[in-house]
Amino acid sequence: VEAEMEEQIRKLNAEYGFNLSEDEIKLIVQQAEKTERLLRPLNELDLIDVMPILKVEKKKVKK
Amino acid sequence: MKPIDIEAMTIGAVSRQIRGKELSPVELTDLFLQRIKKLNPVLNAYVTVTEERARADAKGAEKEISRGRYRGPLHGIPFSIKDNLVTEGIRTTAGSKVLAEWVPDHDATVVERLRKAGAIILGKANMHEWASGGTTINPYYGTTRNPWDLNRVPGGSSGGSASAVAATLCLGSIGTDNAGSVRNPASFCGTVGLKATYGRVSRFGDVPGTGGFSSDHFGIFSKSISDCATTLQAIAGHDPRDPLSSEHPVGHFSRHIAKSVKGLKFGVLSGYFEDKVATEVKTAIDEAVRLLHSLGMKRVEFSIPHMDLIPAVQTVTSRVENVVHLMPHMKSRPNDFSRPLLHRLIGSLMIPASTYVTAQRVRRTICEEFEKAFDKLDVIVTPTTPITAPTIDECKEGFVEIDGKKIALQPAGVSLGTTFTVPFNVTGLPAVSLCCGFSSSGLPIGLQIVGGNFEESRVFQVAHAYEQAARWFEKRPESPKNGGVR
Repeated sequence: VEAEMEEQIRKLNAEYGFNLSEDEIKLIVQQAEKTERLLRPLNELDLIDVMPILKVEKKKVKK
Repeated sequence: MKPIDIEAMTIGAVSRQIRGKELSPVELTDLFLQRIKKLNPVLNAYVTVTEERARADAKGAEKEISRGRYRGPLHGIPFSIKDNLVTEGIRTTAGSKVLAEWVPDHDATVVERLRKAGAIILGKANMHEWASGGTTINPYYGTTRNPWDLNRVPGGSSGGSASAVAATLCLGSIGTDNAGSVRNPASFCGTVGLKATYGRVSRFGDVPGTGGFSSDHFGIFSKSISDCATTLQAIAGHDPRDPLSSEHPVGHFSRHIAKSVKGLKFGVLSGYFEDKVATEVKTAIDEAVRLLHSLGMKRVEFSIPHMDLIPAVQTVTSRVENVVHLMPHMKSRPNDFSRPLLHRLIGSLMIPASTYVTAQRVRRTICEEFEKAFDKLDVIVTPTTPITAPTIDECKEGFVEIDGKKIALQPAGVSLGTTFTVPFNVTGLPAVSLCCGFSSSGLPIGLQIVGGNFEESRVFQVAHAYEQAARWFEKRPESPKNGGVR
């Protein structure tokens, strides 16, 4: 995963012209890994029949 | 004429004087401009002061009122606007270097509505770079300081707005709240800070890239709950220019504000807040809960099964929705972003699309869980922030000491200061922060009161009852002096 992330960042660096140093690339990889760990539990939920919220719908109001 | 105690002013009190022609909008505007001149060099709450236009608008207001054309309670009232709401003919930077010279050709709907109500815009308030942080330590426009302690941050990202209202450099301010950016600085500066239900207030005219389109809200800073209700009345309602604004009817937010809260139920969420709060904050919240109980409200413990997933949902939603807007700037002017922000934005580009969709499915589950909870509750109460305002040095180091333990201010996902506010960006529920006491070092502590969808009136009713019983608004910060700055 780490290698994939690093490759992705290097691609973005070249495409966008960020001029990232090696230390910065390592730092972003570390941050991205932390985020990935935070997000992992989202995929462990059973979401069959649950539609994504595309707008926070507010039709229902408590009587 | 009676001597004017500017620090005691509220919109409610001043508007009565303006209506009765006891106070002139021109005189009032001059008073505030003088105060800004004196205190803004210390606080750095404003990035732009629109002195000439404010004076011209005040003269116009005075003329109208003298001819009997009083527009309502905001006529002649001085406001500031966070610098990520577009303002016609006034530079709008979003706290960024990229937009340092940008002068928009139109007003945000909220600004337009405030002007229509007769408010006088004194200028633009400082903010965190691109609204992407909670300190208002801005590398391009300087650090905004907290009027209660000049060595501390005001919170953020709407730190300039909170500092300006707390120090009476205006009587109201409009900010934005993507993760708590109104409520967090309101808590740190001891002001009222509201984000209404998602869609209640138009977001037309926000600077793209300063919040996720489904998590960001415009919000209000004021000195009292009643002032907040008055301001919301002027800015709420459907706007055809914002496709995500709601068509839900706007009621009278102040009508039931003074009604008894006896018999209403307030929910205390178990399993999310207790272990994350500094002792002094916990003590103040416990005291606030006791006071609500003494007013005749009933306490109900409840839980939200997927509460633990909220930081992940918020992180995905706001980062992905936000970075999309900034990609063109990142490509054309990467060196005009601070490096820490650029690093974070690059990280946002690496979140998979499938994770975004999954987060929106989890989000629906969480929204439904809150809706179910509100079947048995009128409001929820929580701390607004787990800590009081950290020092500028602590923010730069990235750590704060809580009860003897060193805690990271910016762990993965949501920052420490927004732990308790993000659930209501994810759900879109209306939430207000108001002062519920002070720490031993004299720093304000915030209480958050949350309502069901479009139940702002209920939020105001409970918050007003608490505010009037606790009377923390009587305590004011001392006028800042240069000597206090290290």
